[in-house]
Amino acid sequence: MADISSWDLTKVKEDLIDAYRECSMRRLLNGAKWAAELSSALEITVDPQILMKKACNEEYFLDFDKVSLAATYFDLKEYDRAAHVVRDLKNPLAYFLHMYAEFLAEETQRLDNASDSIGQANYDNTKLRNMKTELSSRHRELDGFGLYIYGVVLKRLDLTKMAVEVLVEAVTKQPLHWGAWQELATLITDREMLVSLALPNHWVRQLFLAHVYLELQLHEEALEIYQTFINTGFHKSSYLVAQVATAYHNMRDVEQAVDAFEELEKMDPFRLENMDIYSNLLYVKEMRAELAHLAHRCCDINKYRVETCCVIGNYYSLRSQHEKAILYFQRALRLNPHYLSAWTLMGHEYMEMKNTSAAIQAYRQAIEVNKRDYRAWYGLGQTYEILKMPFYSLYYYRQAHLLKPNDSRMVVALGECYEKLERLQEAKKCFRKAHNIGDVEGGALYKLAKLYEKLSESEQAASAYTEYIMETERRGVLSHEEISQAYQYLANYHWSRKQLDEAYAAAQKCAEFTETREDAKVILQQIQSLRSQGESSMPARFDDSMGSLTSSDHIRPGEPRTFDGVTPVSLKFTP
Amino acid sequence: MAGESGCQVPESQTKGKLNLDRLKEIVKKYIDKLSAFTVQKSSYSSKTNPKLPNDDICEARQFLVQHHYESALFWADKIVSLSGGAVEDIYWYAQTLYHTGQYHRAATLLCSRKLDRHYAACRFLAAKCHFECKEWQEALNILDMAEVSLTKPSFLQSSINQLSMDADDSLPIRGIESSISLLRGRIYEAMDNRGLAADCFRRALQQDVYCFEAFDLLVSHHMMSAQEEQDLLKTLPLVAQCPEDEMELVRFLYQNRLKKYDKPGTHSIPQSLSPLLENVDVVVNLAERRYYNCEFQKCHKITSGVLSKDPYNSRCLPLHVAVLVELKKPNALFYLGHKLVDFYPNKPVSWFAVGCYYLLTKNFEPARRYLSKATTLEKTFGPAWLAYGHSFAADNEHDQAMAAYFTASQIMKGCHLPVLYIGLEYGLTSNAKLAERFFTLAQSIAPDDPFVLHEMGVIAFQNHEWVEAERYFKEALSRIQSVGYQHMPEKWEALLNNLGHVSRKLKKYEEALEYHRQAELLCPQNPSTYSAIAYIHALTGNNSLAVDFFHKALGLRRDDAFSTTMLGHVIEALMSEVPPIVGDDDSDSLNTSASVVLPPFRPLSFSQADTDDSSLAAHPGDNSSMMAIEEVEMDG
Repeated sequence: MADISSWDLTKVKEDLIDAYRECSMRRLLNGAKWAAELSSALEITVDPQILMKKACNEEYFLDFDKVSLAATYFDLKEYDRAAHVVRDLKNPLAYFLHMYAEFLAEETQRLDNASDSIGQANYDNTKLRNMKTELSSRHRELDGFGLYIYGVVLKRLDLTKMAVEVLVEAVTKQPLHWGAWQELATLITDREMLVSLALPNHWVRQLFLAHVYLELQLHEEALEIYQTFINTGFHKSSYLVAQVATAYHNMRDVEQAVDAFEELEKMDPFRLENMDIYSNLLYVKEMRAELAHLAHRCCDINKYRVETCCVIGNYYSLRSQHEKAILYFQRALRLNPHYLSAWTLMGHEYMEMKNTSAAIQAYRQAIEVNKRDYRAWYGLGQTYEILKMPFYSLYYYRQAHLLKPNDSRMVVALGECYEKLERLQEAKKCFRKAHNIGDVEGGALYKLAKLYEKLSESEQAASAYTEYIMETERRGVLSHEEISQAYQYLANYHWSRKQLDEAYAAAQKCAEFTETREDAKVILQQIQSLRSQGESSMPARFDDSMGSLTSSDHIRPGEPRTFDGVTPVSLKFTP
Repeated sequence: MAGESGCQVPESQTKGKLNLDRLKEIVKKYIDKLSAFTVQKSSYSSKTNPKLPNDDICEARQFLVQHHYESALFWADKIVSLSGGAVEDIYWYAQTLYHTGQYHRAATLLCSRKLDRHYAACRFLAAKCHFECKEWQEALNILDMAEVSLTKPSFLQSSINQLSMDADDSLPIRGIESSISLLRGRIYEAMDNRGLAADCFRRALQQDVYCFEAFDLLVSHHMMSAQEEQDLLKTLPLVAQCPEDEMELVRFLYQNRLKKYDKPGTHSIPQSLSPLLENVDVVVNLAERRYYNCEFQKCHKITSGVLSKDPYNSRCLPLHVAVLVELKKPNALFYLGHKLVDFYPNKPVSWFAVGCYYLLTKNFEPARRYLSKATTLEKTFGPAWLAYGHSFAADNEHDQAMAAYFTASQIMKGCHLPVLYIGLEYGLTSNAKLAERFFTLAQSIAPDDPFVLHEMGVIAFQNHEWVEAERYFKEALSRIQSVGYQHMPEKWEALLNNLGHVSRKLKKYEEALEYHRQAELLCPQNPSTYSAIAYIHALTGNNSLAVDFFHKALGLRRDDAFSTTMLGHVIEALMSEVPPIVGDDDSDSLNTSASVVLPPFRPLSFSQADTDDSSLAAHPGDNSSMMAIEEVEMDG
C-alpha cells in the first residue's frame, strides 16, 4: 500500500482544487462537494499562480455562451432545456453537459412518473438505450467525464461488465472525479475483482480502496487507510470521520462508532450524510432519547432528505409505529429510489407488519441496488422461511453468509433451515460453526444440543448442554426456556446414568423454572427415593418469582422460530 | 345587321391573321401553363432540343400554373370559331374544357368530330376525360378503337401523315404513345386488372424513359418483385433515349427509388451527382433505406428534417408516420394526423396517420375505421392495408387479420410483406404447415429478406428441426451483418436470442451463451434474455449463476412461470450441492449431503424444457410480428 505521507501535499491540494473546478464546471455537484470538502480540510496554501494557470485553459471558452446558458438551465433543473442548448456541440465539455442533462432529465422524469407503490414497474429504457448507442459510437473520443456518464448509463442498463470496463477507463483518464470512483465501487463484488482491476496509481485510489474495503466488510484495511489520511493532515475532513464512524458501525463496535458520530456532529453540525447509519446505531442500542433528538435535529435541517427520512423512519420503528415508519421510508425512496438502506429498512418494517410479499419486493430492490447488502439477503431468507420455502431461504441465508462469513446469525439461520429440511448433518455443522465464530445471540449451542438430542447422540447432547449452561452463566441468562430445557435434559441424562449428584443438581436448577418445575419435582422425588435411606430430604426450593420472567418471552406470534433471538428488528440495526 | 356582320367578317379575317396568332399564343400560353400532366409528357420531346441544355428545369418552369382556365376557355372557343374549326384549335379548346372540369363536354367535342380516331393527342385527351369521370370502359374503348384503326394500313398512313403534320403544328404529339400507355395502365389498374396495368406501365416506360409517373406507379404500387424491378431498370432503353450525361442521372434516380424493404442494404450516391445529396427525394430515399435497415432514430432525424423544410412532402409523410409508430411517439403522431386531416382530408395518408395513431395507442376500433377510410380513398395505398391487418392481428383477431393481408397481397403483387404476415398469422394460430407455405412464397418474392429467413427459422424451430432453424437464423444474421452497421439495430435482438435458443437445443452451450450475451448488449434488461441465459447455466450445471439470472429475469417480469418453476428447481439443486458453510471444517463432515437427498435434477429440467421452448420460440415469433407491423407501414 502506497504511503500517502510520501506524497506531496501541495500537489494533492492542487489536485483537489482542480477537481473541484472541473466538477463544478460540469455540474457534477457531488464530486465537487467531495473535492471541496477534502480540500478545505487540508490546510495548506498553494501558489495562486499555479491555480490561475490551470484555470485558464482555452477549452473553457469554447462555445462559452451556449455552455454557460446550458449550465444555468441545468442549475435550475431544466434538464431538457439545457440538453437542447448544447445539442450539437463537439467540444467535450459541452458534450458532457448535453449527455449529463439528458441523463438527469430521464432520471427525474422516471422518478416523477413512478407509481407510489414500491417496486418499479417495468419502465421503458428506450432513452437509456439510445444514449448507450450514441455514447458507444463515440467511445474513443470521450474524455474522463464522458466515459463516466457512459459507465453510468451502462450500469443503469445492467451491463455490468462493460460498465466496469468503461468506469475504469474513466477513472484512469480523470482520477480526480470521485463520482466515477463511487460508481465503480458499487460494481465491485469481491476482493479478487478489486485486485484484478487495472486502476491508475493516484492518491485518490487509496480512498477508493478504503471505500471498497468498507463495502466488502474488510473494515481493518479500510480503517488503516483512513487513519493514514487523517494522520497526514486530513483530520478535519468530515468525510473521513464519517467513513471511520461507518467502519466502526459495521464492525459492531458500538461505542467507538457513537463516539465518532458525536465527533462528526461537533465538526459539522448540519451534516446529514451518514446520519441514517448513526440512527441505526442508536436504534440497536435502544437509545431512545438520542434517537429522538437526532430525528428532530435532522428534521429541522432538511425534512426532505433521504437520510432524514430514514432517521425518522427508524425513530418511529423504535416506537413500534410501523405504518409511520414505512411512510417515511417510502418518502426516502421517492426522493432517491437507489437509496439502499431505505429499501432494506422498509423490508424490515414490512416484515414487522407481516406483509411478506411487500417485504420480498423491498428486499429484492435493495439487492438490485447493491448486491452486497447482506441484511437484505438475510431478510429475504427470513421471509421465505415464513412462506415455507426452505430452499429459497437456504439460498438467501447462504448469500448473506457468503457476504459476512463471520456472522453467527447467518450460520444459525442456515442451520435451522437445514434442520427443517431434515439435513441434520449439515445443520450440526452450521451450529458448531456458529458457536466457533463467536455466537452473538448464544442460541447455537443449545440448538446443537437439541440436534444431538434428536439424533439420540446423548453424549454429545449432554456435553453441548453443559457447555451451553456454562456459556450462559458466563454471559448472563439469555432465555429461561432454553436453560430450563437444558437443565431438564441434563437431569434426565444424568438420572438415566444414575449419576445422582449431577442429576440432582440439574433437577434443582430445573425446579427454578415454571415450565419444568413439575418434571423436576418428579426427578427430584425419584432421586430422593433412591437416596431414601438415612439422607435428610432436601425439599426443593421453588422460586416462584421466576415465573413472571419466563412467561414474558417477547416472541412475536407469527415468528417462525420460537426461541431464537434473531428477529427482523434486532437485525435491522446491525451493520 | 347582316350587312354589318357580313362586312365585319372579312375585316376580322384579315385582321385575324394577325390577331389570331396573338390570341392563339395567349390561349396556348394559358393552357400550356395549366396542363401539368398531359403536356408535360409530350414536351419531353424538347429533350432533344439542343437550345435547352437543362430541359427538366425549363419544362417545369414552362408549366407553371397560372390557373386562368376561364379566360383560356373563352378565347379558345373564339379561336375555334374564327379559325373555322382547325384541329389544333379544337384540341386546345378541349384542353381548356378539360381543365375547367367539363370532361364530358370535352370528350363529346372531340369524339363528335371523330378527332379521336385520327389524332393521337385528341384520342388521349378524350380518353383522359372519360378516365377522370371514372368511366373506365369508355376510356378504354376510345383507346382501343384507335388501336384497331391504326392496324389498317390506310389509316395508319394517314394518321402518320397527320402526326407529322401535328408535330409541325405544335400539337403535342411526340411521346404521346407513352402517355397513352400510361393512361391505359391507369385504367386497367382502376379496373383491378393489375397484370395488364403493370404491362402498360412497363411499356410506357420503355417508350419514354423519362416517364417517371409510370415508374413511380410500378414501384409505389408494388407491382413487381425486387428482381423484376432490377430487370426492368436494366432493360430500359436509356442509351437510345437520353444523352450520355443524363444516363447516369436517370439510372441513379430510378435505382434510388426502388424498393428497399426486401433486404437491408446500403445507400450511396455517385460522386458526380453529389449536388443531389440535398435533394429532398434523394434524402427521403435515404431515410427509407434507414427505416428498412431498422435504424429508426436516424430515419426519424432525417424525416423530421425534411418535414420541417417541406411540411407536407407526400413521399416523406407515410415514412414519417411509420417511424413515429416505430419510435412510439403518439403525441407527435396525433398532432400530425390532425394537421393532415385538416389540410388533406382526401388523401389516404392523412387517414393513415390517424389510424396509426389509434393503432399505436391500442384503440383498435377507431384504428380500423380510419384505416379502412384510407383504403377506400385509394385502394392501392398499401401501408393502410397492412396497418389495417395489424389492427386485427394486435387484437388477436387472426382470421380478420389474414383477410386484410390477403387483400393487401392481391393489391401489392410485388411485395412480400402481406404474404409474410399471413404466414405469421398462421404460425400464431399454430398452423405450421400453412405458415411455412406462405413463408416460402414470401421468400420467393424477396429471397434476401432477413425477416423472412428469421420467420422460417422460427417455424423450423417449432418443428424441432434445430439444424434447419440454425441455418435459417444464421443466414438471416449474415444478411444483416453484410450491411455493415456500426451498431446492429435493436430489432435483431430476437434473432440473436433465437440463435441462442437453437444453439442450446443443439447443445452448443458456449455459442448459445455468446448469442444471448450479444442480445443482452443489444437490448439490455430483457427478462427473456436473462431467463434464457439462466437456463443455459442450469443445463451446464452452473447452478449458482443460473439462480442469479433467474432472479434477474423475475425481477423484471414477476409473473414468468417458466423462470419461477426453474428457479425453484435450480435453487433446490444448488442448495443440495454446495457445502453448508464457506471456509473451514469441511473435514469433519460426513459428506454425504448433496446428491442423496434430492431427486436428480437434470431430467426434471428437461421435461421442463419442452414447455419452455414452445413459449420461448413463440415469443420471438410474435415479437417479430410486432416488428413486422411497424416495418411495413411505409411503402406508400
